Amino acid sequence: MKRDRLQVIHDILKVIQDRRKIKPTHIMYKANLSHQMLAEYLNELMSKQLINEIRGKKGKTYSLTEKGFDFLNKYKMIVEFTDSFGLD
Amino acid sequence: MGNIIIYMYSSPDWFFGYSIFMELFFMLIILAVSYYSLKVYKLTGQRQAKLFSLAFLFIAAAYLVQSLFSLSIIYSLNQVVSDALRIIGVNTFNMTIFFLRSTFFLSGLVTLTYMTFKESSKKAYSLILILVFFSMILSWNRAYTFYLFSSIFLIYIASYYLVNYLKKKRLNTLLVLIAFIFLLFGSIHFIFSVNHALFYVIGHFLELIAYILILINLILVIKK
Repeated sequence: MKRDRLQVIHDILKVIQDRRKIKPTHIMYKANLSHQMLAEYLNELMSKQLINEIRGKKGKTYSLTEKGFDFLNKYKMIVEFTDSFGLD
Repeated sequence: MGNIIIYMYSSPDWFFGYSIFMELFFMLIILAVSYYSLKVYKLTGQRQAKLFSLAFLFIAAAYLVQSLFSLSIIYSLNQVVSDALRIIGVNTFNMTIFFLRSTFFLSGLVTLTYMTFKESSKKAYSLILILVFFSMILSWNRAYTFYLFSSIFLIYIASYYLVNYLKKKRLNTLLVLIAFIFLLFGSIHFIFSVNHALFYVIGHFLELIAYILILINLILVIKK
């Protein structure tokens, strides 16, 4: 079954939450996304301030922002709200 | 005062107080939905959620204008109202309040209908708004035109929620569908209320059922 946008965002954030700091390749495998899709989603999530990008010696890693944690906590409410009022 | 009430609302005098409380109750429910939609927008950045929040904010403003004006007639502000009536005349005052209320309400319905199109076109949105407001201004009977436009937009919105329900057959999508069908029936009753005051009462009760259903849905959503 095709995942919708919110579901994909949730999956990415959940993967990042579980590992705290995670490399993009790990996110790609765990969230089951193509390289291009992942790049687009990561840019979107950074622009929405749901994740932080950290540049270190071993390359880029990602971590959740407070807003990212908030998204995961309220995910069920967001899905129910958008489904019932047809906002998806 | 009775003449003013009849002129503005075509409401039976006995219902006047009840209608104010109902409209304030509607406004609170609508504001709560708008607030949660804004919350969803802030977390997801979804355009639909932003438009939905804005639409409900416009509709809440419409109920606020109407109920505050009605309250001002009954309670402490009626000196201000009567002074204003003396200065600008009953007709102009009534028309101003009615126009303000219908502008907010129709802006809300236009925004909600635009949201259901799922197309991003500011030109189309502004065109619909301009056409609606010029039709209202140039109309011979603004009350009829207002309720007619409201009903037309609600047909589109209710049909959108019918499709939404058919896609996701769940309790909450059904509640929202029934709510918008009741709002549509309410709006159709208001068309007839221009000449028959009883339809104004029925219209309010249909709206009451609709907003209670929306409130039940919102409570179910928040509990998740």
